[in-house]
Amino acid sequence: MYDTIAILFANSGFDSLQGLSLEGSIAGMPFGGRYRLLDFALSSMVNSGIRTIGLVTPRHYRSILDHLGGGRDWFLDRKAGGLLILPGAIHGLTQQRINFRIRDIELNLDYLHRNYAENVVISRCNQVFNFNYKDALEFHNKNGADITLIYKIPEKPTDKHGKIRLFLNEDQQVNKIKEEESEHLKVPYFINHLIIRRKVLLDIIHGYKPLETVDLIQPIAENVQTLKVYGFAFNGYIQTIHSVKDYFERNMDLLDPEIRMKLFWGPDSIHTKVADNPPTKHGYQARVRNSLISSGCLIEGEVENSVLSRCVLIEPGAQITNSVLMHSCIIRAGTVLDHVVLDKFVEVKSGNVLKGSRDNPLVMKKTAV
Amino acid sequence: MLLAGGQGSRLGPLTRNIAKPAVSFSGKYRIIDFSLSNCSNSNINTVGILTQYKPFLLNSYIVQGSAWDLDAPGGGVHILPPYLGENEGSWYKGTADAVYQNMEFIDFYDPDYVLIISGDHIYKMNYNEMLKFHKEQEADITVSTLTVPWEDASRFGLVTCDENARIISFSEKPAEPEMNLASMGVYIFNWKVLKLALIEDSEDLISDNDFGKNILPRQVQQGKRVLAYNFQGYWKDVGTIDSYYQANMECLNGGSSLNIFDPRHKIYSNEDILPPQYVGSAAKIENSIVCNGCNVLGEVSNSILAQGVFVGEGVCIRDSILLPHAKVYNQTHIFKSIIGERAEIREHCLIGANLRSDSEQEGITVIEDHHLIPMDSVIDAGRNVYRLR
Repeated sequence: MYDTIAILFANSGFDSLQGLSLEGSIAGMPFGGRYRLLDFALSSMVNSGIRTIGLVTPRHYRSILDHLGGGRDWFLDRKAGGLLILPGAIHGLTQQRINFRIRDIELNLDYLHRNYAENVVISRCNQVFNFNYKDALEFHNKNGADITLIYKIPEKPTDKHGKIRLFLNEDQQVNKIKEEESEHLKVPYFINHLIIRRKVLLDIIHGYKPLETVDLIQPIAENVQTLKVYGFAFNGYIQTIHSVKDYFERNMDLLDPEIRMKLFWGPDSIHTKVADNPPTKHGYQARVRNSLISSGCLIEGEVENSVLSRCVLIEPGAQITNSVLMHSCIIRAGTVLDHVVLDKFVEVKSGNVLKGSRDNPLVMKKTAV
Repeated sequence: MLLAGGQGSRLGPLTRNIAKPAVSFSGKYRIIDFSLSNCSNSNINTVGILTQYKPFLLNSYIVQGSAWDLDAPGGGVHILPPYLGENEGSWYKGTADAVYQNMEFIDFYDPDYVLIISGDHIYKMNYNEMLKFHKEQEADITVSTLTVPWEDASRFGLVTCDENARIISFSEKPAEPEMNLASMGVYIFNWKVLKLALIEDSEDLISDNDFGKNILPRQVQQGKRVLAYNFQGYWKDVGTIDSYYQANMECLNGGSSLNIFDPRHKIYSNEDILPPQYVGSAAKIENSIVCNGCNVLGEVSNSILAQGVFVGEGVCIRDSILLPHAKVYNQTHIFKSIIGERAEIREHCLIGANLRSDSEQEGITVIEDHHLIPMDSVIDAGRNVYRLR
């Protein structure tokens, strides 16, 4: 797929994560024990054969750049192409809920100009999925499409993918794009992945320059009759994270063997930074049930229905249920945690009892307890 | 120069298909990780790795050494297999011959000192401290030594020193040891001394071309300044199934001074990215090391599960080591065994059948990698099980 490059928007950050992502962005959030959220989008692109990826940075990008390095762990340390950092636009007090800001691309227009690729794949970093774009690209090329929008028909009312509904004809061509609340209807909703011809993208940016804070989907919607816009269905597991509740539930999803199978054990794996930790040790008093445990942990207490990141220490007598612990947390003896999300490096001292609920997990930020 | 070409035939089924340094150790590591990490942690960034026996997995594991941060400018990791030249070249006949045949490589970098280490020892060591000793003492050769228990002394190459740590004599695996200071197979040579010694050794037709047996005793005889550097810490040669098993268990039980959890001296490895381990609702894991990618639904105690291991429901695993991607299906019981990489043990098997309640049972059962043990099999304790060819 050397005729395809990508733009990955890593600049979505919402304060609805109760401070968990204030410092970084959603893209850099630890997820599923050993990953960061951006690993899913980045790995999907790499597994599709894309070797030139421009990453639009958020306001605070230290932790993201620390994670990415030169891109070696995603096979992106290359002479031709590789991982390119595209500084995102910074303005306003809080970042708006906007997907693909034209301003961000316009600031980095050289990236698109200095390339000969036919197509550009565009997506974001706030989703958990594993998608190989190869079939979609083939479909896009076969139809001679200008733009192919990836959509999904929600299976359950809880599947929230956004509000942008696609109206398709029998040839999968998009006639109309309309923003509307999903009323649990089994109709196609855009899931914020698209393939666009590089030239068309450049035309759009040029034409919409005066309105540069708009979302890329807006010009597409306005010109849907003149451009050749197609829809392509994605049928796998994909979930978007907007809130702490989403974050918590998507972590819990990983305890389901079917979802783990789809995400991690298919032909395409999810790549991430290697940390070279020792393996995890379960001690004599450890009692772990239905949990996902990353490497480098020392476990002497009880853990149930939980996701533990790297290098978590759990002392004897600690009880952890229904919780998500990010890396290097220390849980002292005699502690009880239930429905809790712990930030990195949090130490919970002996005797603390922390309880949240499924709808409202208790979030403890760095060095809070 | 890292010696990694030995066959390691005493490890039986474990080294039938791969070189000893590439054998999995303590879950996520391979044996060579320890030597390579020591080099990396000692800032040694020009490493020649001498390979010969079944090198494919070893070579593909090492690549350019970037996993150990050894891909340095003006140096890096070089894999040195035997090669042919115009009139020279042959299989490596011994450890010294392997280095002799690669003198051009060493000359290319033209070092002052050459460190000779082995790819099949488990230890953490800062070679710089040994080099500092070597320089301070103005030695020609420094041999790293370790005090071993008297009862084990006959398994090692032993050295006798005078009061100034100068080595007077060597004895290779004596039946009746008179001393208990053992050579660890870690040497620092002045390159000029090494070069002469190698050339001299190559001209000796009855030599076994071995560092411990031939080169070092001769250099002592010739009156070179050969010193013993006293190493304090954990060191283990994992040359036999017993010592391999024991070293793994020491790693698990932390009874040794080898602490793989110490972040100041990390052991690096070239790992595959696998998701975190999943521990099922009915699983019970006690005093065990479990790696990424494992899926544990049964009971595991006093064992090491390397990455990607599957343990089915109703399975009981005790005092065992499961190498990467081994699969154990429902209701199978495994006692004091080593299960090779990607081996599959089907349902209702009993591996290591013997005195089931007694953890002091005799003999370690070893299953070769990629082997498939069919349903209802019973394999007696202490057997080495090979695949049919």
